[in-house]
Amino acid sequence: MSDTATAQPFLTPERVEKLRDYVPFIAIALVILMFWAISGDRFMSVRNWTFIAQQTPVLLLLAFAQLMIVTTGSIDISIGSSLAFSAFLGALGMLWFGDVGLILGILAGGFVGMVNGCIISLLKIPSFVTTLAMLIIVRALVIIMSDGTSIYITADSGASGGNISSVAAPWLLSMGKFPAIFIIAAIVAFGMWVFYEKTVFGQQLRAVGGNEKVLRLVGINVTTFKIKVFAAAGLMVGLAACVNLARAGAATPQAGMMMELDAIAAVALGGTPLTGGYGSVVKTIIGALTLTIVRNGLTIAGVPPSWSQVALGLLLIAAIAISLNRSKIEVVK
Amino acid sequence: MNGSGAEPLLTVEHVTKSFGGVQAMRDGSFDLKRGEVVAIVGGNGAGKSTLAKIVSGAHVPDSGRICIKGVEVSRADHSVSHMQACGIEVVYQDLALVPNMTAPYNLFLGRIPRKWGLFVDEKKMRKKTREVLEQLNVTTVQDLSQPISSMSGGQQQSIAIGRAIAWGSDIVILDEPTAALGPNETAEVERLVEDVRDQHGTSFILISHNLDQVRRLADRIIVTHHGVTSREFKRDEITSDRLVKAITLGE
Repeated sequence: MSDTATAQPFLTPERVEKLRDYVPFIAIALVILMFWAISGDRFMSVRNWTFIAQQTPVLLLLAFAQLMIVTTGSIDISIGSSLAFSAFLGALGMLWFGDVGLILGILAGGFVGMVNGCIISLLKIPSFVTTLAMLIIVRALVIIMSDGTSIYITADSGASGGNISSVAAPWLLSMGKFPAIFIIAAIVAFGMWVFYEKTVFGQQLRAVGGNEKVLRLVGINVTTFKIKVFAAAGLMVGLAACVNLARAGAATPQAGMMMELDAIAAVALGGTPLTGGYGSVVKTIIGALTLTIVRNGLTIAGVPPSWSQVALGLLLIAAIAISLNRSKIEVVK
Repeated sequence: MNGSGAEPLLTVEHVTKSFGGVQAMRDGSFDLKRGEVVAIVGGNGAGKSTLAKIVSGAHVPDSGRICIKGVEVSRADHSVSHMQACGIEVVYQDLALVPNMTAPYNLFLGRIPRKWGLFVDEKKMRKKTREVLEQLNVTTVQDLSQPISSMSGGQQQSIAIGRAIAWGSDIVILDEPTAALGPNETAEVERLVEDVRDQHGTSFILISHNLDQVRRLADRIIVTHHGVTSREFKRDEITSDRLVKAITLGE
């Protein structure tokens, strides 16, 4: 908009505006420095960072799913339940079909997303209400299907009953270990960046979030597009479910509970407004990392879990308060 | 209607349109020649927007005939995309743009060029945008990577008009094009309309409440009253008083 080559006071409004773009990066740097100062080597150790790198991927993939949806101006709070559903079907798929059965888990996520998208687009029910209902329904379905029990993945071949063993299990469990899970997340992250920043689909996400009405006027079918978005995000949730299955070594009926909120928090910490139209893959990665690091750092510093939740909530409010230019906001809903 | 000159680009004959029990358009007829600006004026609810939306394809008429370049548009074909393919574009009053996207994106809205089927061809978009802005003589838009919400209303409307003519449209419907703009920006947009008409031979259908603007821009003025295109005036044969009378009383 303007050049910054003027000899004005250091913090011109333009510079403040530009600075806001960097809030997620500054925040994560401060968070790391803070925990380094508090806990020293216990925080800044290879072992702990390995742990963080293991903790982040599931949240990251869920945050990507949420990012796609939030960019269009909708929201999906059913992804935690969808994760449990997908993990359960992925595990069942492995029981029935062996390795390839895991694909069933990914497709299950896509299916839940598609149902969400159809209800929102075709029945015109707001995404918050639709996905709230689906959060309840899908979780209940998982409990009904699983009868409240978990499916464990074990590497030893002597397992029986509802447990998965044999051929499929060892590689899946090895995928859940540090380097593999991290590499998967890195590849998906790069793919997501290309998809979000460079493709026509990615641009359209932003355009729908910006002014859906105009897109309809020029003849773009927004209804089917939204269904596609929710389905694509659902596939991402399905992938997250498989990563979670690999890491946890089990599909439990409680898996993913409250993760939808973590995913939204990660997106928001990445400076993406929940009103839609804008977003950044790189900053969402930073957001997911920040969330994981704060949780990890507080645990290491000996803060009780409940208090660390309080701290996370405050951090979220602070991050949004700083990164949004609130002087331009006239109506807050 | 008035049969002078070449064959009309667009003829609308006796179209009707009801919404539920309300007859928004009872009898709409007019024609449009190449390079002509025709204004449709009328009070609120007189049917001018309905008529414009029928021509743009957004509303399918209940009865009547529409011919573009002598070819009749059947009711089954009547849609926005068909009308676009026939060379009709619309510029809406509320700046029908995507505010968080760039000027090139808005110019290419619904026509984003692709690379390898999946990716946005940004180079092509930028090049074409510069060409269009140059054609329109719009020099104020420089930074093509900014969202258009950071531009003035006049610049935004220029881009909207640019979008309408960039794809070789013969007919552009301007639906209250300056209702949201200040006086300077209004003048900028009016200049643009005249330039485009003179240079490209584009025809315009102008829907406006602003009677001064109508008398500045339009070659002919169609008055709608209670859903009927009741009167038609040439620019030089009409006074403001006469026009107001026609709009309010239908005479």
